[in-house]
Amino acid sequence: MGPARDTPFRSAEMSMVQLYISNEIGREVVNALGELGLVQFRDLNGDITAFQRVFTGDIRRLDNVERQLRYFHAQMDKAGIALRKLDLDIETLAPPTTSEIDDVAERCQSLEQRVSSLNESYETLKKREVELTEWRWVLREAGGFFDRAHGNVEEIRASTENDDAPLLQDVEHNNAAPDVERSFSGMNIGFVAGVIVRDRVAAFERILWRTLRGNLYMNQAEIPEPLIDPSTNEPVQKNVFVIFAHGKEILAKIRKISESMGAEVYNVDENSDLRREQVHEVNARLNDVQNVLRNTQQTLEAELTQISESLAAWMVLVGKEKAVYNTLNLFSYDRARRTLIAEGWCPTHDLPLIRSTLQDVTNRAGLSVPSIINEIRTNKTPPTYLKTNKFSEAFQTIVNAYGTATYQEVNPAIPVIVTFPFLFAVMFGDFGHAIIMLSAALAMIYWEKPLKKVTFELFAMVYYGRYIALVMATFSVFTGLIYNDVFSKSMTLFESQWVWKVPENFAGHQTVAAQLRDYGTGSTYRYPFGLDWRWHGTENDLLFTNSYKMKMSIILGWAHMTYSLCFSYINARRFKKPIDIWGNFVPGMIFFQSIFGYLVMCIILKWSINWFPTPTPENPHPVARQPPGLLNMLIYMFLQPGFVEAQLYPGQSTVQVCLLLLALVQVPILLFLKPFYLRWENNRARARGYRNIGERSRVSALDDDENDEGNNGGAVHGRHSDEDGEGVAMISGDLHGDDEEHEEFEFGEVMIHQVIHTIEFCLNCVSHTASYLRLWALSLAHQQLSAVLWSMTLGPALKVHGIGGAIYIVITFTMFFCLSCIILIIMEGVSAMLHSLRLAWVESFSKFAEFGGWPFAPFSFKQMLEESEELTEYLG
Amino acid sequence: MANGWSVFIGLAIIIAMCVAAWVFAPKGENQVLWRSSLILSFVSCYLMWAITFLAQLNPLIEPRRSDLREKYIHH
Repeated sequence: MGPARDTPFRSAEMSMVQLYISNEIGREVVNALGELGLVQFRDLNGDITAFQRVFTGDIRRLDNVERQLRYFHAQMDKAGIALRKLDLDIETLAPPTTSEIDDVAERCQSLEQRVSSLNESYETLKKREVELTEWRWVLREAGGFFDRAHGNVEEIRASTENDDAPLLQDVEHNNAAPDVERSFSGMNIGFVAGVIVRDRVAAFERILWRTLRGNLYMNQAEIPEPLIDPSTNEPVQKNVFVIFAHGKEILAKIRKISESMGAEVYNVDENSDLRREQVHEVNARLNDVQNVLRNTQQTLEAELTQISESLAAWMVLVGKEKAVYNTLNLFSYDRARRTLIAEGWCPTHDLPLIRSTLQDVTNRAGLSVPSIINEIRTNKTPPTYLKTNKFSEAFQTIVNAYGTATYQEVNPAIPVIVTFPFLFAVMFGDFGHAIIMLSAALAMIYWEKPLKKVTFELFAMVYYGRYIALVMATFSVFTGLIYNDVFSKSMTLFESQWVWKVPENFAGHQTVAAQLRDYGTGSTYRYPFGLDWRWHGTENDLLFTNSYKMKMSIILGWAHMTYSLCFSYINARRFKKPIDIWGNFVPGMIFFQSIFGYLVMCIILKWSINWFPTPTPENPHPVARQPPGLLNMLIYMFLQPGFVEAQLYPGQSTVQVCLLLLALVQVPILLFLKPFYLRWENNRARARGYRNIGERSRVSALDDDENDEGNNGGAVHGRHSDEDGEGVAMISGDLHGDDEEHEEFEFGEVMIHQVIHTIEFCLNCVSHTASYLRLWALSLAHQQLSAVLWSMTLGPALKVHGIGGAIYIVITFTMFFCLSCIILIIMEGVSAMLHSLRLAWVESFSKFAEFGGWPFAPFSFKQMLEESEELTEYLG
Repeated sequence: MANGWSVFIGLAIIIAMCVAAWVFAPKGENQVLWRSSLILSFVSCYLMWAITFLAQLNPLIEPRRSDLREKYIHH
């Protein structure tokens, strides 16, 4: 039995369950399970198309409601009414009853009708208003033409008739307007007045001129304010025109042309009194229309404002309801018994909770038919369900980005929580930068709630990884202290182990070497924490730190890989595959340790030997030995076994030869032990007879072989199919049928697999160890870059005196600070993070994790609402 | 004060801290998370410190510089 509880150490134990729910409460049950978010339902109607499923009708209905809600939203956008967003952190929506949903649907229906009829009438009125406005403009402008025409009639006449008419002239001179107007008709001159879009005026004129051969007199004026085109709701510039022409046919022609050019022709009376009346009438009508319009607008807005209050909630309700019906569509519906049968995965330890939820729903509905939940045994690989919390979520995401861990194998995120930030810190070791990063991470955690609402994508990403940043920064503070780097400067926290050995007649500009503080005293004092600050700024600083950091990289890499390799032992134990321990873990570990473990041991040994003993009173002339080069030692260990250039310890050559042999012996063990063991096991099983195997791993011909690599049957408790439920006949075919690979044992395949594994493992031991040297390279780059930044900005500024120096410092400090943040913290941080990520994914995960799982995706409202892109605009 | 034995003293302290972390990790679902994270952190930090300390225990080279000023030397 597993532990009493699911821990993040490995994925939760899963069970396949079958639910028998009465049809009446199907919706409520799924609703409750959606709130719970612990069951992943399987599709039992794989062979039925989406249209033929039982609840498709309901989904269609909800689709319609959703469309209506979106229509309201669009209308609100148009009217500029803000949506009241739903904050699910504060408000919780009680699961709706069917009647509530029906209510919403009905209300939506009626509201849609009202809104659309209001909209329609609004549009009609708007159109009417535009027409009236245009007419008014025509009346006003055309009036102007007529008034101006007074003086022109004579010329017009003159152009049509050759003789002068004194009587008419008299009349004109008397300026009697009615007479003038009468005179137009008297002359048989008619006119057409209207409004046309300004862009078309030129074309309009040209066409008229051509068709009428110049027999017209056109007058036009611009309407100063743009008019609204009711069909597109866009402002359009328009002109008023009045065309005078001779003859009815011509006038009819002009009308036709106007209409075809999209001009609106309005009725204008020649008589100015009548015209004045017309203007009054138009104004009155316009007023009326505007009043009605305003009322309509207000009603519409009031309606929409009311809707805006609850629109978001309705949207969420409908979204949930749709998800429920979509889930119900996955169930198999037994028409005869009026029962829904569902099947799905859920965490074994949460079964009681699911059971009680089911009981609750049944009791609340007052149903006499109980809902049944049955755990069924299956040979399917269960999904990987890794529980996370606020802290481990981001780390888990990093791991899941690489792959989904195999069911029940050690969760790779567990070591990553520390190793990933720590290796980052080894590369990012600077106390000053770490403190800035730490403050940022702490600020994000302190203002966790308000910052959660920020939707700016880049920030949201950083915010999501705030706990990673916290751990990374904390470790960076530590490594910064170890490297003794604060913005490339060092701190003199403790007394140095070095003192300058100043020559007698020191004159400056002379190379001075330091000497151990305790030289010749017999006692030892070493710098207790981190790097001695005396190294800072010395000429051979890099010589020392490079050697130190390279060796540290190798040691940390060795530790990291050994630790990771140990997880493969835990996995093999968990999956009860001793052959993985004896055929993979043990020889692999021996191979790795006898080469790189030995190297690490030599590094430490070399450090602990006092190569140049200081003279003490007892021993005034100690013998100094030449320290061996470890790299050469390792190379000679392979190339010339038995040859030792400079001895590190007595008996070294024998030990090295033994270790080399030990390592070489592991290769055939790695290669052959597992495949041959598996073959022997398989043959033995076959020899005992096919039936017998069933006790352990086979039920039917369909069931798979436990030996194969693809399926780590952690859930292979005695496999037999379910026999107790009703409706089994219907489902059993589905249970054993699909999506599981059933591999027969094939020696060739296993052998090839193992050969690849062996080659990969042995080569990787070398290349991965070398890969850890990136720790040294990146930390060197970071330290040098920050030193350069200092020497280019603040460094020189500090040497300038006076007021100029003060200003210089302010400027260079700003530069120093900004560049520190942008280049050294953000850019270098990202780079270090990527390198650390690689060390986790490749160097560490390849040692133990299989990543053969598939993720558990339970039916959960919470998740659905978070992931739905459509709903994001409704949620605050 | 700080000599070669410090590494072992540090080791003892770290082991004590690891045991404490194991014992006092908050109970519950995330106990394993607490334990593994704390112990791993302690061990990592100790490793780093011990490596740095050991690297300076028996130095093969000594710091050298030629830009020392006389004033600085005399204190």
